Amino acid sequence: MTDVRAPEADPFESPAEPDEPGRAHRDPAGGALGLAGWLKWGWRQLTSMRIALVLLFLLALGSVPGSMLPQEGTDPGGVQQYYTSHPALAPWLNHLGLFNVFAAPWFAAIYLLLFASLVGCVVPRTFRLAGSARTLPPRAPRNLTRLPRSAEYPTTLAPAEAAEVAATVLAGHGFRLRRPGSDSNHGDDEHWVSAEKGYLREAGNLLFHLALLGVLVSVALGGLFGYKADRLLVQGTSFSDTQSALDEFYPGRFVTAHDLGPFTITLNRFDASYITSGNQRGQPSSFDARVSYTAQPGGPARTFDLQVNRPLPVDGAKVYLIGHGYAPVFKVTDSRGQVVYDQATPFISGTSGNFLSQGVVKVPGAQPEQLGFTGVFVPTAIEVGGVLESVFPAADNPVVSLIAYAGNLGLNSGVTQSVYEMNTAGMHQLTSAPQLLQPGQSLKLPDGQGTITFTGYVPWVSLAITHDPGQLPALICGLAALGGLLLSFMVRRRRVFVRARASGPGTTVQIGGLARTDASGGFEDEFASLAAELRSAHSQHEGE
Amino acid sequence: MLKSRRRPVFVAAAVCAAAALAVVLLTGLAGGGNNGVTHVAGSNSAVLYPAGHRPAAPDFTATTLTGSKLAFSAYRGQVVVVNFWGSWCAPCRQEAPVLAVTAQQYRPDGVSFLGVDVRDDTASALAFTRQFGVPYPSISDSGSTITLDFTAVVPIAGTPTTLVIDRTGHIAGAVFGTATQQELTDILAQVMHS
Repeated sequence: MTDVRAPEADPFESPAEPDEPGRAHRDPAGGALGLAGWLKWGWRQLTSMRIALVLLFLLALGSVPGSMLPQEGTDPGGVQQYYTSHPALAPWLNHLGLFNVFAAPWFAAIYLLLFASLVGCVVPRTFRLAGSARTLPPRAPRNLTRLPRSAEYPTTLAPAEAAEVAATVLAGHGFRLRRPGSDSNHGDDEHWVSAEKGYLREAGNLLFHLALLGVLVSVALGGLFGYKADRLLVQGTSFSDTQSALDEFYPGRFVTAHDLGPFTITLNRFDASYITSGNQRGQPSSFDARVSYTAQPGGPARTFDLQVNRPLPVDGAKVYLIGHGYAPVFKVTDSRGQVVYDQATPFISGTSGNFLSQGVVKVPGAQPEQLGFTGVFVPTAIEVGGVLESVFPAADNPVVSLIAYAGNLGLNSGVTQSVYEMNTAGMHQLTSAPQLLQPGQSLKLPDGQGTITFTGYVPWVSLAITHDPGQLPALICGLAALGGLLLSFMVRRRRVFVRARASGPGTTVQIGGLARTDASGGFEDEFASLAAELRSAHSQHEGE
Repeated sequence: MLKSRRRPVFVAAAVCAAAALAVVLLTGLAGGGNNGVTHVAGSNSAVLYPAGHRPAAPDFTATTLTGSKLAFSAYRGQVVVVNFWGSWCAPCRQEAPVLAVTAQQYRPDGVSFLGVDVRDDTASALAFTRQFGVPYPSISDSGSTITLDFTAVVPIAGTPTTLVIDRTGHIAGAVFGTATQQELTDILAQVMHS
């Protein structure tokens, strides 16, 4: 009868795969450590899981001001504003690098330490795991009945033959075997088979750790060799992917303007549709930017339907549709009747909703004085108590409200200005109250200074161009890490030992087995069926 | 135990050191190789390309602000000053009088000037040329395609940028940023006598 015993203990010795091998045991203050000793101690501390977790936490904590305070790179205007509203606090925050967190030395220090810590943790672990995956199973213990699972039965086969049959059966099940060989000092009376299975667990563990390193390297690759850029594009116009045509350009460490893909994009048409009824009224239902593009100068023109989450892949970069708005078209004639401005001017929607947008029209070429207008574009205008409001984001009843100025725009001094802001310090207001215009209507400026006509409006889109060479490797490594983790969770290492001892005229066969108990069950059944199979194989051979 | 751990620790340290070395080397390589480009005396933004290392200017045809066709190849055999500008660009407005004066001054020597009007509308651009009395033509480059062609050979980061092209159609000098009369005179002196 196969005798399966309950486990007494888990003697699965695992010196080959310690989780945190005695790192904190050695106290540097205890012994006389030289410089090398201190360095070694420091390195061991840095690469400990504890420090890695602390660094990870610090990294997360350090990113918090980056999302709460305006940042130089993305919102320089916001930083200026913060300076004006918090004149005492702002310089201190600036000293701490809190307006440019992701470029601050302390942030880089955390990141690099974390990187070193992870590399220092993962690389030695990888070597250990690789070693562990190569090792042969241990020699069969003397008394197999002490193992968590065991069975014992007699057979008439000779011990050597019984061991041979067991080895064949176990090899057939994909076990890695060890037999008494030259290392045996017990002579010829030893007949046993050690078998181990589940090395895939170590392979999975190895894969997970290597893939983790791969993710880190991929992220670094993206940061060093990738770039991000933004561009606002008015319907009917085009731009080329060159630094001077981009509104914002954030190159990686090793990226120069030369690395930009030489493509050109034209926005042929942009449509936004909105839900017109119900409590979702005014919510967008679709955005659709139809563009044509050439991948390089002189190349064939192709068309593409750009949508949110449907970027245009071109020349290794991806072009995303990230925003849209209205660009009212103005035509300005000056005192001499000459057209000095005739273009769509992008207005930027504020927080008030429904695309109530603000912008400025700067006419530095007007004579005798430069002209400037601050304006509000209201797509669907209604007047509530003398205040213009937009009640719907689509341009159903478009109106612009303008205040006219004349004087010096400050452009000729050579100091760069934002195209969305106007410095009225050197100007005087021409109209006392905001003047409302509908498409086609004109505003005559006093004293024959000229005329401004609101001829219509066109949509604009804002595009984000990103090139991240680390994206695909990071995805692959991420999937590999997940696969490795799953393997190491699902596969258990398990060992089966068979010993054949001469007893009287026949042989006693002992089978013992053990598995890691921390993973999913099922070894009991596996062992029982193996034991049964071994037994039947032995009795089959008895008959031959 | 300690002995068996020592090897992986040092391997890890070595990997880190190698990575750091690679970063340093890459940084060094990225910054190297200037091909003998020299700066005009007293200027950070004006450069001269030595003969033999002058990048060939791209050829293009475009429409001028006044609506006529212009082929850049028609300038071959002359020294041409190409200025990238926009009416919205404040430094360009500061620079415009200098360019107008220099263009008049070098006209007898056969030096041509050509403007490339970037990201602009024609009405504003023409108002600019009237206002500053710009004596030379400008082509419209609202989509920055001509800028893109030039960026393939010289690092144009924005407006204003001024390129001086020699008689063989090669870029001999450049001012990245607002050009002064001194910088233009220095570059032109080199280019006209070579």
